[in-house]
Amino acid sequence: MFVQGAQVVMPNRRVSSRALALLAATQAALALWVWGSASQGVLPRPAEVARAVGALWADAGLGAALLTSVGTSLEALAITAVFGLLISYACVLPIFRPAVAAVTTGRFLGLVGLTFGFTLLFSGGHALRVSLLVFGMTVFFVTSMVAEIRAIPARAFDHARTVRMGEWRVVWEVVVLGTADRALELLRQNAAVGWTLLTMVEGLTRAEGGAGAMLLDRNKHLRLDEVMAIQLCILAVGFLQDRALGALRRWVCPYTSLGRTS
Amino acid sequence: MNAHRTDVLLRADGVSLELGGHRILRDVSLEIRDLVRPGQITGQVVALLGPSGMGKTQLLRVLAGLNAPTAGEVRLTPRQVPVRPGLVGVVAQDCALFEHRTALGNLCVAGRQAGLSSAAAKAKARALLGRFGLREQEGLYPAQLSGGQRQRVAIAQQLMCSDHYLLMDEPFSGLDPLAQSEVCRVITEVANEHELNTIVVITHDIRAAIEVADELWLLGRDRDEAGRPIEGARIQATYDLVARGLKWHPDIARAPELPPLVEEVRRRFADL
Repeated sequence: MFVQGAQVVMPNRRVSSRALALLAATQAALALWVWGSASQGVLPRPAEVARAVGALWADAGLGAALLTSVGTSLEALAITAVFGLLISYACVLPIFRPAVAAVTTGRFLGLVGLTFGFTLLFSGGHALRVSLLVFGMTVFFVTSMVAEIRAIPARAFDHARTVRMGEWRVVWEVVVLGTADRALELLRQNAAVGWTLLTMVEGLTRAEGGAGAMLLDRNKHLRLDEVMAIQLCILAVGFLQDRALGALRRWVCPYTSLGRTS
Repeated sequence: MNAHRTDVLLRADGVSLELGGHRILRDVSLEIRDLVRPGQITGQVVALLGPSGMGKTQLLRVLAGLNAPTAGEVRLTPRQVPVRPGLVGVVAQDCALFEHRTALGNLCVAGRQAGLSSAAAKAKARALLGRFGLREQEGLYPAQLSGGQRQRVAIAQQLMCSDHYLLMDEPFSGLDPLAQSEVCRVITEVANEHELNTIVVITHDIRAAIEVADELWLLGRDRDEAGRPIEGARIQATYDLVARGLKWHPDIARAPELPPLVEEVRRRFADL
């Protein structure tokens, strides 16, 4: 036990999953204690937030709102995957490189400034929410994915050529299949980005509901216990979605975690 | 030893290569001939030696058709085909494989590219893996293979689709003596499977090169009158190990001819 204890403060050491779980539980308990003892009446205490979760779930339809948000998030993620991958793979063709570079610069644009244009294009509602989310995730996804493709060493392309692959087949084997695991990992990261944008886009069309709309509503009325309750639920759902996408990645690309040493 | 060299199998004529404004290769001409031993199937193994940074890997890329030379040409004879990617197998120093495919998958995809049906590719792949002692590893991904296993899978993958030519870049790099002998055995075995099989091994390990090859090429730069190296490497010397009685020696490690030759090549290295 002492040896394990010494390991956790040494850099680049591997510890057992049991030790890691123990660390996580200890740190979560510490965070709860700090939260509970340092609130000083300004922030709601953990027990108040827990009660707010129960009340929101039973009376305000938090479960349904979260389902709406999850549905919107997954729909946007699926569209982002298709568009983002097509745009990223297009960078292998010189003719599309300027356009792909233009897409990647889109990450500097604020979504708020784009809302008007998107409203004109999609006339509000669900389509507006999804399109804004897709835009927000795609520009970051394409930026990361293009960097992955550019990082493929030239020798990987040469290797494919030595086994008689033509250039299109090289693209399929080296660029598409060869980066599939990293593409899934980047999608997973962008799904998290999507959740941070979700509350904003749900606030634009509140009629459809969703956790974001509920959050903005509670925030407006300074119901801090309910705000924190919704935030914690979003955190939990986002975490579960992240784990599910991680499991999907390991299932689709089982080679992805092989040979990892640290 | 009753052996002689007949038809030219690979020929490079006046190959020069410039990269980034620097001349890497200058007027390289070489040929590999069919080494014939009556009553036996004998492939060819040539070792290309030279100090680091001399352009050995660039010459390999030209011989494989991966780099177009600035001048000159490489042809695979007897059909006089200009070399292009895919005609010559290449096992790179890092033993590149498709990391997202299993060992069997890596071989099958190469077989399919060579025009085999799916079933024929799988059968040939399994036979090759069996021959290299990798039958049990067919379902493993490259990241799960040891360095030696990975190298053998890489060789097998190239054998799935290249006709008779195989270029190997630094196959002895970082290997202990036992592993090195094993690689030499595999190279010799592959070479001797077909009379036209031709393997070029690029290395700076003189002893291993002599152990595996029937001919040595030394790549290096000429020097001007002031002794300064002239840009662009050429073949500076060749050593016929068959003529020197070192090829097929029953115990080459203890052959009396070995130390003087190693020393001779080492001395040449210093001048390259």
